[in-house]
Amino acid sequence: MDVIDDARAGRRALPPMIALALLASACGGTQGTHKVWSEPEPAIVGQPVDPAVETAPARPLPPRGIDDAPGQPQRAEDISGAAVTALMRQARSALDSGEPQHAASALERALRIEPRNYFVWSLLGQAYLAQDNYSQADSVAAKSNALARGNAYVELSNWRTIAAARAALGDAAGAGAAQARQRELEQWLQDGSR
Amino acid sequence: MARRKPRTLRIALASALLVALSLGLVVLSTYLLGLDREIRERFAGARWALPAQVYAAPMELYTGLDIAPTELVHELNRLGYREDPRLSGPGSFLPSRTQVDIHLREFAFWDGLQPAQTLAVRFGGDSITSIVRVADGAPVDIFRLDPMLIGSIFPSHGEDRVLVRIDEVPPLLVKGLIAVEDRQFYGHFGISPRSILRAMVANLRAGRVVQGGSTITQQLVKNFFLSNRQTWARKINEAFMALLIERHYDKDQILEAYLNEVHLGQDGSRAVHGFGLGARFYFNKPLEELEPQEVALLVGLIKGTSYYNPRRNAERALARRDLVLGVFFEDGLIDEAAYQRALAAPLGVDGGRIGGAERYPAFVELVKRQLRGQYDDADLTDEGLRIFTTLNPRAQEVLERHIVESVAEIERSRKMKPQTLQAAGVITSADGGEVMALVGGRDVRYAGFNRALDSQRPIGSLVKPFVYLTALERPGEFNLHSILPDEPIELRLPHGALWAPRNYDKQFHGPQPLYRALAQSYNLPTVYTGLQVGAEQVLRTIRRAGYEGDAQALPSLFLGAIGMSPLQVAEIYGTLAAGGFQAPPSAIREVQTKDGEPLSRYPIAVRQTLPDGPVYLVGWGLQRVVAEGTGRGVYAALPGSAVVAGKTGTTDDYRDSWFAGFSADRVAVVWVGRDDNQPTGLSGSSGALPVWARVMRDLRVRNFDPIPPASVETLRVDRLTGQRADDGCAETIEVPFMVGWGPQEWAPCAYGGERSPLRWLRDIFER
Repeated sequence: MDVIDDARAGRRALPPMIALALLASACGGTQGTHKVWSEPEPAIVGQPVDPAVETAPARPLPPRGIDDAPGQPQRAEDISGAAVTALMRQARSALDSGEPQHAASALERALRIEPRNYFVWSLLGQAYLAQDNYSQADSVAAKSNALARGNAYVELSNWRTIAAARAALGDAAGAGAAQARQRELEQWLQDGSR
Repeated sequence: MARRKPRTLRIALASALLVALSLGLVVLSTYLLGLDREIRERFAGARWALPAQVYAAPMELYTGLDIAPTELVHELNRLGYREDPRLSGPGSFLPSRTQVDIHLREFAFWDGLQPAQTLAVRFGGDSITSIVRVADGAPVDIFRLDPMLIGSIFPSHGEDRVLVRIDEVPPLLVKGLIAVEDRQFYGHFGISPRSILRAMVANLRAGRVVQGGSTITQQLVKNFFLSNRQTWARKINEAFMALLIERHYDKDQILEAYLNEVHLGQDGSRAVHGFGLGARFYFNKPLEELEPQEVALLVGLIKGTSYYNPRRNAERALARRDLVLGVFFEDGLIDEAAYQRALAAPLGVDGGRIGGAERYPAFVELVKRQLRGQYDDADLTDEGLRIFTTLNPRAQEVLERHIVESVAEIERSRKMKPQTLQAAGVITSADGGEVMALVGGRDVRYAGFNRALDSQRPIGSLVKPFVYLTALERPGEFNLHSILPDEPIELRLPHGALWAPRNYDKQFHGPQPLYRALAQSYNLPTVYTGLQVGAEQVLRTIRRAGYEGDAQALPSLFLGAIGMSPLQVAEIYGTLAAGGFQAPPSAIREVQTKDGEPLSRYPIAVRQTLPDGPVYLVGWGLQRVVAEGTGRGVYAALPGSAVVAGKTGTTDDYRDSWFAGFSADRVAVVWVGRDDNQPTGLSGSSGALPVWARVMRDLRVRNFDPIPPASVETLRVDRLTGQRADDGCAETIEVPFMVGWGPQEWAPCAYGGERSPLRWLRDIFER
């Protein structure tokens, strides 16, 4: 209750402060959730892709300076435990040897251990693609995106999967949108590594 | 002349005799040929209809897994592993406080064979720190225990069996069986005149039938082809067939057939045939792991499965077992030490029907239904398919225990008539929709009415998250802090009746922010919201979450006038748990042929059907339900640090008590009510909630921690006004909003985004 009273008192004392506040904000302060960019705001802003397909809108890419490294996990091993890493290795070799069903089976085991590992979901999307199960490839890649917290490497791989799946399903517009998103990410990653 | 007559007669007689004899021979040959064909057909073709075997999900063990050594030992016991300091064979283990050594059984998984091997599992506290293969010291990242056999799909009134090959059968069983049933087995040609003679003498002396003279071959024929009627014709048939079998097949083939055919017990409508299933049925382990006294019990049972039934007539069974052990010893099949050890051992029969098979009838029913779409009944009962399911025996055990205990506890504490309450529950995995546990009623071993699948009860307030989700999909009109009226509503329904819903406490609480209306489960703000968005839209949202029923889009829908089974509720709540990705509930992972060839896989299928942003907002609201609303009671069982989301559901006159909710990894739904649909006096919080909370506690679920989608931003708002707040405000709350749709105005109490030096200045002035 004391706190509330203080706040009310503060409100009464406010008018003289307003001029100062206006002055301060005019001096280039920011407020609310706007972030302070050290660089000029970048031109690359992710556009929501094909909302009709009901996938999650693409997360806007964070701004990138020329020098800053992405700092995002690039390989599954970076975020996975030993068991999941072993299962993903199994899955990759199964995919390489043309046994996508076995790959999917190993990846599902991995997901039961780490249900939010976006690398696993991402590879599962590829396994579905290899099985010509296009709608699941699309969905599972979208699931990976939803969990990826903006990881550009994983999202890039997912948009490739989605583009291929939609193309195979005859959804030219959807595939085009996915490819656009894919190029955006490629460009973004390229800028960062230069 | 006198001599010619008799001669003609003799010739005629001889001819007649010859003709008769030839005719007889022809008849006999035809008869024997018929028998012969029958025998060969039976032996050569698929000899037995093999019921499909249903397995639980295997337990995965890996470094970092949270499991205490005692829990692992519990699991090994469940699988019939025995404690053995020498780890002498597969299916044994050696526990200590910080390490469990396991001699793993070989198992043909869908994706390949996992060989038998000895592994050392080391623990640090209650988690696994390393796994090492004992043979070469190599580290092992992950391995699976063999899955529990939980049932088989056999035709009604049918035979059930687990096939064994003669080379897998313990030598003691083969030798012991021959010693007890048919000493001359390797010497006779199908029938044994000596045995028959000896049996006759013995029976004459005793004045009743004390001994049978049938050989193993004859017994096989009897089991194979013929009815149980004791007639001469049958006896003769049996003898001829025994002779014929011996002509066609060698002794091992005959013995193998016998081992798989012999009747060893009855379990309701299920006939237990063969030693493979016998070992599972009585001892819950594979045949090759049986110990001498267990082998002796099974061999002894052949004489009379009902008379010597070890579960019902334990003393008789024990006497019979010891008699058989005596034969083993006298014949030198076991030595003195083994004999004494075996005599001293208890019967060791797995209690009642809990021996794996038929233990989870409600879950197996779901498995059968899901298989029926793809396989004929005959495929399931005859082909010996191996079905790998999603059942998690640990989760199942937890759900069963709390449903059974809580329902009885409620009856006692509320002085209800015992056995009037019923309950059902489901646990699924949050991201894949795998059904991990399913209870269809309080009598969990009874394959009766499966309430988890088949009851359709109104879901009451469980529907409210979907009403608000529909509203939150219109960020311009609704957000979590929208102020909703809590005022009387009267509606003229299409058929003329007046509908005047009320709150459960019959009170009005004044205008409420949306999230609190959800948390407190107020009816009137929900109806208000529902009327704004329309019943069709709400029903559409529920359908997108996975509901496939034919409920009507009427205003009563807003308060849960929609019938669902607990499994359906788990499905629609699962979609909320998974950020809008819907996954149909699945009970099956893979199917193999009886030879271990992969047949079909049931991959997890997810599809985004609800938008991530609004789903995130509703998930946040459901966390408020347990943090401050009608679901607060969960923290009587759960630790304060646990983060879960859920909703109570109560229907008119307290007929149904529901709780549905989720953590990061599990979705659980519990229903409590009565089969006759009479009021129970239980609300969602007093009936289903405690069960749900105890289940989630014992599952040690992971905290619900959804990843905020890009479409959502979290703002601090003033509890009083719902406007933007900061440190200037005393009572604030962080609320997620759709980006750009949160409150823009600063609350009167807020400093309103002043920069900190300024605030510091003001703080000084105001002192």
